[in-house]
Amino acid sequence: MPHGFRKVFPYIALLVLVAAMVWAVSFGTLPRADFAFNNGDEIKTVDPAKATGSPEGRVINGLFEGLLRQTPLDQESDENGQVPLQPETNGVAERYTVSDDGLVYTFHIREAAVWSNGDKVTADDFAWSWRRMLHPETGSQYAYQLHYVSGAMQYNLGTLQVGDQVEVELDDRRDPQQLFPRGTVLKGLLVSRDEDNENFTIDIKPLRDGKVDWQAAGSEQSFTKLTAKQPGSGTKCHHVLADFGSTVGITVEDAATLVVRLENRTPYFPDLVAFYPLYPVNRRCVEEHGTPNWTKPGNIVGNGPFVLQFRRIRDRVRMVKNPKYWNADIVQLDVVDAMAVKSQTTSLNMYMNGQLDWTTTVPNPIIPELRKRDDFITAPMLTTYFYRINVELPGLDKVLVRRALNMAVDKQEIVEKVTKAGQLPARSYVPPGLPGFESALCGEFNPEKARKLLVEAGHAGGRGLPKIEILYNTSESHRDIAQVIQQHWKKHLGIDVVLRNLEWATYLDTIHKTDYAVARAGWIGDYADANTFLDMFITDGTNNQTNWSNKKYDGLIEAAKSETDVAARLSLLHQAERILMDEQPIIPIYFYRSINMVHPRIEGFSANIQDVHPLHLLRIRPAER
Amino acid sequence: MLRFFLKRLGWMILTVWIVYTVSFFLMRAVPGGPFASEKKIDDAIKRNIEARYKMDRPLYEQYFSHLWSTVQFDFGPSFRLEDYTVNEVIAQGFPVSASLGIFAMVFALTLGMTAGVVSAVRRNSPYDVSFMMLATIGIAVPNFVLASVAVVIFVFMWPLFPAAGWGQLNQIILPALCLGAPFAGYIARLTRTGMLEVLTSDYIRTAYAKGLSTRQVVMRHAMRGGMLPVVSYLGPATAGILTGSLVLERIFALPGMGSHFIEAALTRDYTLCMGMVLIYTVLLFVMNTLVDLSYSIIDPRVDLEDQA
Repeated sequence: MPHGFRKVFPYIALLVLVAAMVWAVSFGTLPRADFAFNNGDEIKTVDPAKATGSPEGRVINGLFEGLLRQTPLDQESDENGQVPLQPETNGVAERYTVSDDGLVYTFHIREAAVWSNGDKVTADDFAWSWRRMLHPETGSQYAYQLHYVSGAMQYNLGTLQVGDQVEVELDDRRDPQQLFPRGTVLKGLLVSRDEDNENFTIDIKPLRDGKVDWQAAGSEQSFTKLTAKQPGSGTKCHHVLADFGSTVGITVEDAATLVVRLENRTPYFPDLVAFYPLYPVNRRCVEEHGTPNWTKPGNIVGNGPFVLQFRRIRDRVRMVKNPKYWNADIVQLDVVDAMAVKSQTTSLNMYMNGQLDWTTTVPNPIIPELRKRDDFITAPMLTTYFYRINVELPGLDKVLVRRALNMAVDKQEIVEKVTKAGQLPARSYVPPGLPGFESALCGEFNPEKARKLLVEAGHAGGRGLPKIEILYNTSESHRDIAQVIQQHWKKHLGIDVVLRNLEWATYLDTIHKTDYAVARAGWIGDYADANTFLDMFITDGTNNQTNWSNKKYDGLIEAAKSETDVAARLSLLHQAERILMDEQPIIPIYFYRSINMVHPRIEGFSANIQDVHPLHLLRIRPAER
Repeated sequence: MLRFFLKRLGWMILTVWIVYTVSFFLMRAVPGGPFASEKKIDDAIKRNIEARYKMDRPLYEQYFSHLWSTVQFDFGPSFRLEDYTVNEVIAQGFPVSASLGIFAMVFALTLGMTAGVVSAVRRNSPYDVSFMMLATIGIAVPNFVLASVAVVIFVFMWPLFPAAGWGQLNQIILPALCLGAPFAGYIARLTRTGMLEVLTSDYIRTAYAKGLSTRQVVMRHAMRGGMLPVVSYLGPATAGILTGSLVLERIFALPGMGSHFIEAALTRDYTLCMGMVLIYTVLLFVMNTLVDLSYSIIDPRVDLEDQA
C-alpha cells in the first residue's frame, strides 16, 4: 500500500460519504395529492382480469369502468347510516335489457364512452377482454365469475369432447411468451385425443369469406401441445380449446351492442358485471406492449375516471383525472394517491397527521376511543366471521356435538369485549341486509341446553371427546376471540381446547387440506345475494373445506339456480341455510362492520354494505379547497 | 491486492450459490404457495396459473432454469407483484434502503465519533458520563421502541416531521435517526476505548513533547489509531443497518428492500424472495470486503495477502 494513498485515504472516505449523502438527498420531492388514502396493501396488479383483492378493486375502479357500475344510490342513508348500493347504468352501458327467461342480457354501450387514448369503447372490447380473461393462459383467479355465461366454463377449463367445435392456436406467435397477439388459429371438429389432453386429431374446416364453414368437408390433421410430456408427431400448437365463437355465449351484435347468454338464470349477473374483474382492457394496448408491460404508466390505456400517473412499489399508486372520461364533469379530484401502508398504527398516525384523508384500517385496541369521533364511519358489511368444523374428526362428526359447541359460545361477549366496533353477533351464516332474504338461525347462547345436547350425544362433561384444536392465522384479534371461545367451551362444556396459530400462507395451506379440527374463517360476499355465501358449502365445493356434505342441501342450491320466481328462489336458499344451520359444519360468530376514517373536508363518502367507495364521487368541501 | 480480490470473488460466488440453493429448496418446502388465497380457487384454474409461472414443471427443472436466468442477472417476474419483474422491484427498493442506510450510517458515525473522542479526552467529566449513559440507552433500546417514542415526540407532541412515508427529505430523518441510534452508541464506546488506549501510548507523549496543541495531537495523531476498532466495527454495523431497516421500513412505511423482503417471504413470492436473499448476501459480502480493504489502508500492520 503506497504511503501517499494511506495519507489521503481518510479524505477519500469522507468524500465518498459526502457523495453518498448528496445522492441520497437527490430524490426529488413529491407534491401532495388532492386526496390521499391508505389502500392497505400493495396491489398485485392493475390488470382487471388478474386482480383479486379489495385494494386492487379501489385502484381498478379508478382506472377502468365496466358496463355497469356499483354506485351508492343518491338517497338518504338508513338507520344504520347505510346507503343502498346497486349495479347501475353509471358505467359504459347506457341501458341494458334482460330477456323474459332471464338468460339473455343485451347491453347498449353509450356513445360518449372512450378510452384514454381516444378510441371508442366498443362491444368488441368487452368480448375480447372476457375472452382474454377466460383463456387458460391468462391464469385469471376470478375467471369463475364468468362461468355463468354459457360455455365459458368449458373454454376456461379446457374441457373437450370428441365432436366438439374447437380452435387450435399454432406455434407461430410473434412472441411465444405472449398470449396476444395470437398465432394462427385454425378451427375444426375434434376427432380424437389422448388421455392427457396433449395430442389431438382434428378435422380442420376451411374458411369461406373469412368465416369458418362448419358444413364443408375438412382435412384431418394431428396436433401436439408444446407443453406435452409425451409429444406426438403432430403439428406443434399452444392450445386446443373449445371454439370461443360458437361455444361461449358472448356475441357482438354491433359496435355498441353486446349480447350475453347465460347458462342459468342468474339474478345477480348485473352485480358481477359491475364487479371489477369484468372490466375491459384495451386490446391495442395489450397487444402492442404485451403483459405485463402494458400496465406500465405511459403504456396503459384505461376507460375510467382516472389515469395512472406513476406507481412506486409498496409506496403509492398515483392517479390523475382522465379528461376523456365520459362522465368527467362529476369528477372533482385531480390527483389521487392510493398508499400501500401495511401497518395499522402507521396508517392511523398518517391520518391523524393529515398525510391521509381516508384510512381503511385502524388498530383494534383503540376502536372504542375512535368510535366517539365524527370522522369514524362504520356500517354493517356483507362479511361473516365464522369457525369451520372438520366434520370428519371423531366427536366433531356428531351434529349434536357441533350444535353444543355453537350454543356454548357467548357471541355477545366477543363483540362487546374483543371486536368492540359495534359488530352484530351472528346466528346465521348469511349476513342481514339482503333484500327479500330471510336468514335461518342456529341455536342461541344457552350453556344449559348445550350441556344437555352433549349428554345426548354421549359425551357428558366432554368425556370421550378428543382435545379440540382451534386454528387461526396469526393476529391479535383472532387470538383474543379464540381465547374467549376456548374459555367458554371449557367452562360450559368441559371440553379441553388448545390454540394453534399459523402464519397466513401456512394457515391457508392447512385449511385447504382440511388438516384442522376447528378453524377461524371469514367470507366476504362477492355480490349482494345469499348465493355467494351458500353455494360454497355444496359437496366438494372448492371453498367448503369442512368435509361436510348434504345431498338435500346440494339439491336446494341447484334448484335455486334455475328457479325463475324471485321469492321462490330466495325461499329455496333459505331452506338451504336452514340445513346448514341445523347441521352446523360452521359456527357463525359475528358479522363484520366496515371501518373507515374519513377527513371531514371530504364529502360524498357514504357507508354501504359492500364497503364500495368510488373515488370519482368524492369531493373536497368548497371551503377547504 | 489483485489476488485478494480474486480469492474473495471466488468465495463470494460459492457462498451465493450455496445460499441460492438452500433458500430455493427451503422456500418450496414451506407450506403454502404464492397463489394461495382465502377464497380457494378451482384446481383447474390453479393449474392454469401455475402453468403460466412454469410451476407445473418438476422441481429440478425449475431450479436449473431459474438458476440459469439468475446467472444472467435476471430474477424473473415477481409472483405476487404481477406487473413487475424482480429486477424492477429491486431497482425501486434499493435506492430507498440505501439512502436510509447512508443517512443512518453518517448519523451514527458523526455522533458516535464526536461523543467518543470528547469522552476520551475529557475522561470522567460530566460530558463523558452523560455521553456514555446515552450510548448505553441507545444500545439497549430496540430501534422499533425508539421509533414509537420518536413518533410520539417529534410527530405529535412537537410536530417537526411527518409520521411516515417516502418522497420528501424530512421523511427520512426520523427513521434514519432511529436506525442509526444503537450504532451511534456502539461507535461512541468503541471510539472512547480506542482513543484512551492510544492517548496513553508513547508516540502521543512524543507529540505532546514536540509542543503540539491538544487539538493537533488528537486530530492528527490519536484519531487515526483510535479509529481502528470503529473501522473493524463498520462491517457488522453495515450488516446491522441493512437488516435493522426491515422493521423500521414497516413502521415508517418506507418502500425499501426491507418491506419487499418481509412481504415476499410472507406471501411466498418465490422469485422476489430469492432476489432479495441474493442481493443481501452480495451486499454483506461486498461491504465486509471493503471494510477489510480500508482496514489494511489505515493500519500498516494488516496485510491483505495474509488475510486472503
